[in-house]
Amino acid sequence: MELHILEHSLKVASIAKEGIQICTHGLIKLAFLPSKTRCKFFSLTETPEDYTIIVDEEGFKELPESEHLSVAEATWLALNVVSGGGSATNSQPIGVTKIAKSVIAPLADHNISVFMLSTYQTDFILVRERDLPMVMHTLSSEFTLLRVVNGETVAANSLGVTNGFVKPKLVPRPIIHPLSSPSNMFCVTSLDPDTLPSVATLLMDVMFYSGGIKEPGASNEDSGHIRFFSFSLIEGYISLVMDEQTTQRFPNNVLFTSASGELWKMVRIGGQPLGFDECGIVAQISEPLATADIPAYYISTFKFDHALVPEENIQSVIGALRTNESAGQ
Amino acid sequence: MSGSKPDILWSPHHTDRYVICDSELGLYRIGPVGSAENKVGALLLSDETAATLLAINSDTPYMKCVAWYPKQEPECLLAVGQANGRVVLTSLGQSHSSKSKELLGKEFVPKHARQCNTLAWNPVDSNWLAAGLDKHRADFSVLIWDISSKFSPEASVVTEKNRLPSGDIDSGMVVTKPLYELGQNDACLSLCWLPRDQKLLLAGMHRNLAIFDLRNTSQKTFVNTKAIQGVTVDPHFPDRVASFFEGQVAIWDLRKFEKPVLTLNEQPKPLTKVAWCPTRTGLLATLTRDTNIIRLYDMQHTPTPIGDETEPTIIERSVQPSDSLIGSFAWHPTTQNRMVVVSAANRAMTDFTVFERISLAWSSTTSLMWACGRHLYECAEEGGGSWEGAVEKDIATKMRQRAQSQYGHDTVQVWMNHMLAGGDDPQLKSLWFTLHFMKQYAEDMEQKQQSSKQVLVYSGIKNIVKSSSGTTENRRCWSGSERQANVLWFHSEERSLALRLCGWISQGPDIDVEPFLRSLEGDGEWERAAAVALFNLDIRRAIQILNHGASSEKGDINLNVVAMALSGYTDEKSSLWREMCSSLRLQLHNPYLVVMFAFLTSEPGAYDGVLYESSVAVTDRVAFACMFLNDTQLPRYMDKLTNEMKEAGNLEGILLTGLTKDGVDLMERYVDRTGDVQTASFCMLKGSPGEVVKDPRVQCWIENYRNLLDAWRFWHKRAEFDIHRSKLDPSSKPLAQVFVSCNFCGKSISYSCSAVPHQGRGFSQYGVSGSPTKSKVTSCPGCRKPLPRCALCLMNMGTPVSNCPDTRHGTGTSDEKVDLTRNNKLSHFNNWFTWCHNCRHGGHAGHMLSWFSDHAECPVSACTCKCMQLDTTGNLVPSDSL
Repeated sequence: MELHILEHSLKVASIAKEGIQICTHGLIKLAFLPSKTRCKFFSLTETPEDYTIIVDEEGFKELPESEHLSVAEATWLALNVVSGGGSATNSQPIGVTKIAKSVIAPLADHNISVFMLSTYQTDFILVRERDLPMVMHTLSSEFTLLRVVNGETVAANSLGVTNGFVKPKLVPRPIIHPLSSPSNMFCVTSLDPDTLPSVATLLMDVMFYSGGIKEPGASNEDSGHIRFFSFSLIEGYISLVMDEQTTQRFPNNVLFTSASGELWKMVRIGGQPLGFDECGIVAQISEPLATADIPAYYISTFKFDHALVPEENIQSVIGALRTNESAGQ
Repeated sequence: MSGSKPDILWSPHHTDRYVICDSELGLYRIGPVGSAENKVGALLLSDETAATLLAINSDTPYMKCVAWYPKQEPECLLAVGQANGRVVLTSLGQSHSSKSKELLGKEFVPKHARQCNTLAWNPVDSNWLAAGLDKHRADFSVLIWDISSKFSPEASVVTEKNRLPSGDIDSGMVVTKPLYELGQNDACLSLCWLPRDQKLLLAGMHRNLAIFDLRNTSQKTFVNTKAIQGVTVDPHFPDRVASFFEGQVAIWDLRKFEKPVLTLNEQPKPLTKVAWCPTRTGLLATLTRDTNIIRLYDMQHTPTPIGDETEPTIIERSVQPSDSLIGSFAWHPTTQNRMVVVSAANRAMTDFTVFERISLAWSSTTSLMWACGRHLYECAEEGGGSWEGAVEKDIATKMRQRAQSQYGHDTVQVWMNHMLAGGDDPQLKSLWFTLHFMKQYAEDMEQKQQSSKQVLVYSGIKNIVKSSSGTTENRRCWSGSERQANVLWFHSEERSLALRLCGWISQGPDIDVEPFLRSLEGDGEWERAAAVALFNLDIRRAIQILNHGASSEKGDINLNVVAMALSGYTDEKSSLWREMCSSLRLQLHNPYLVVMFAFLTSEPGAYDGVLYESSVAVTDRVAFACMFLNDTQLPRYMDKLTNEMKEAGNLEGILLTGLTKDGVDLMERYVDRTGDVQTASFCMLKGSPGEVVKDPRVQCWIENYRNLLDAWRFWHKRAEFDIHRSKLDPSSKPLAQVFVSCNFCGKSISYSCSAVPHQGRGFSQYGVSGSPTKSKVTSCPGCRKPLPRCALCLMNMGTPVSNCPDTRHGTGTSDEKVDLTRNNKLSHFNNWFTWCHNCRHGGHAGHMLSWFSDHAECPVSACTCKCMQLDTTGNLVPSDSL
């Protein structure tokens, strides 16, 4: 297995809902006019609380300074697991499940905080730049570490930090944050970048104006439903996460619907904002899923984390997680 | 679907059909303009060709890539890769075979939808279709579909489970189970099957090029690179692959796959297509976005680079098929260098042939040859018409003829060389006569042992008269008249030497031009003879000569009139005769007649009318000047004339410059003007103890002449020239570079070499050339061990070849040997050592020659070396004869 350390230096930011209008110019440029910026990594996720932006330094210049824009102080690097060798095993678990044991758990054991972004194409594990030596040390036994420099992958040399690390604590990881599961179902999809202009206005509507249909905060009252939409444009690939109702608004054949047409239910993690320093949250969720061999997507946002699991598995997931939760308490 | 760029595909089997795909598929047939089937609705592609639209297929929206089924039947089956990753088989035109019915409309659906970037049919197993897809987290990006696979029950279970929209399941036309799945969690941007093995697939993945081996799918060879788009194998060179990234093309050698063997110069705009020309090796066409030119890279002469340092030469050029921006292009599969180009905007097509670079070469004779593409044209001038004259005049033809007639080799009667050269060039005539007189004089002086003058004579009249001293001046009488001539006449030893070099007088102290006059009369040069006589103040003789001329067969009757005019000469300054002669003389045609009257009418000491009459031979003008110009005027005139000659490269000037540096300057002009290195080489070799020969220019002429002879295959002539040269210029003899050394002691077996080690000896002089006095020529003179045996006669080398055919079979006896050893033909070529550098067998040159005249293989039994074929020059025949 190869672990690619991508060259993007990423910023994680949050835009408050009421401040979104001052940022729309930059966001539209980043999302729909990639040729006008030098941004290679852009992700926008709308949650009921805020908009979470993950963007590289080039793209960050497009955003204005504002009181509504809060930025996590660290610079993040994206890691990407590539299964080399093309070995064809029968059933491949999807998403964080695949890397739960090999990447996420070891990082949690070493107290490295991670920020996850699953897309249609792959999973990005964001780590703080300052944690990189530790990350490399932790993962070098399991992976071939490759660093992307100017688009070429080169072998990453170890940074020579070997001593003084905390011994991993091999204790069971109970789930400590409250979980909730909204009623709506989600679709993880993509579209052909060539068709992006034709649906741009629709996407803008979904991104910035759908909140206006209902009163802000109304989503809270309708406890079953959650407002969640994620758009990312990373190295030319578009990934979309939206609920089933929203997909109905798109013309036929524009969205890539998989042959199986699967739908996903969400598990929301956290009762109050999780912050960036706590580690092990992803591991708490992904390890039980991996044990049960349930595929999952995982999207971290500025305040909360979100896992997407197949709808038919949602009960067993909730069950499995509750067990862990109770074990923790 | 928006902004799809058009692409072109040529039919793999019908060389007149192609498909254009943009938002729909259009099948076209191309044909000559105005042909019957092309009349209606034909689109003009070029001045000669037009295309007709045969069929349109717009059934498959969201096309991303298209690939044409490589087999003959069904003939127009296309695989279309769509934006959602599905691959559909479709067709253009009608084809009713059962196989095509079975295949048409079949769909191959990946598990997760994403763009299909590329398709490639396996060229051997044409049921295999490789599709390259974009990245999807856990799914595979390279899928190989078997188009003959049936809708299997197993697959049906899978699709049902995955809730395929029911519309898609129509009568088993949807296949969801690929034959092979490769490249998990990666994106595939380009694909091609490798011709080396039908199970090898080269794929441009995300950030690397990978070779998948279907025999063992867990293995892949890969190299990290950015250049992953448009992988394509050179059809002429199965290990050479091109790929690109943005503006840069990388060329790979699959045998050395670690890094590109070369990268082509980056272009400012991103590339969209790169294609090897199928009809010409090493020609790569590249197209970038928003341009109307196609850039070609000709790697024709690329030696397969092995070391890292060898950067092969590439010729880069651009072609502009039309004015509009190019959308795509495709090489014609069979017609050389032809392509069809489709414009980016309005599907306008152009039929275009890339013009091949022409390389052209002159032969060493008068023919010309040029190569263009696969054609080789020879242009040889045929006899007849005005061409003949041109060929005749061509210096190469002349030199060839002159070489054959031994031009330059007459060292006794040097002047004869101008006859050997054809005898029709006055400059050559003057040159060789000058050289003749110089040689004659030098020989005279040698007899008198006055070597200082011998050197002087070759330094030319200009230098001779400068050294002049003790000039006497006197007033001479008109011979046969009592009248005192009104002219001063100068004389010195040097001046008479000059006259001699001019050929006016011969050996001896007297100034006697009579023999010269007679020879001129003999040649029918009446006017010249008369003028020479007149300049020697012998009017009667002049008149007599003119009368002779008038009465002779070929002479001009008008010469009598001239004689009459001449006889009226008066030295009275204001006479009517003088006045009329000085004005009317200019209307005479013959320059000698002009100068005669100029001489008679000019003031004493002011003979410009004679001296600067350029039609008069230089020898005569120089001789005249030596007689009538004083010591101050003469050198000035000589300098002036010399410069004039040098400027013009006139060989007559050699008389003045001699074979000095000035002479070389003059000859340089001559060679520049005529290219006649032959004359230049021979002339300069005549120079006495040769500083001039050492002049680099002279060496260059000589080398060029030798090369020319070699190029004409005049090897014997060249050898003769070398011999001639070494006689005149002993320093030109090359040192021996090759020695035959003894197998035992390692010393040279040449007798002389054993006596004086490492003394330079010509190749021709060693071998078995040991002197007759030496008793044992069959053994090494150093260690007395026997020399190797001739493979044919089995005698030790050193044994001469007998002409008796028996010796070929090795029956020569030692008695014969002794006899023949005494025979002085030991160094005859037949006796030379000769051996093959490959198998190291050999023997007497004569034996070997006769063996290989009817055998291909080495005479040594069990040796299969084809010795003679390894010798590139062995089969060439000299075009001159001994």
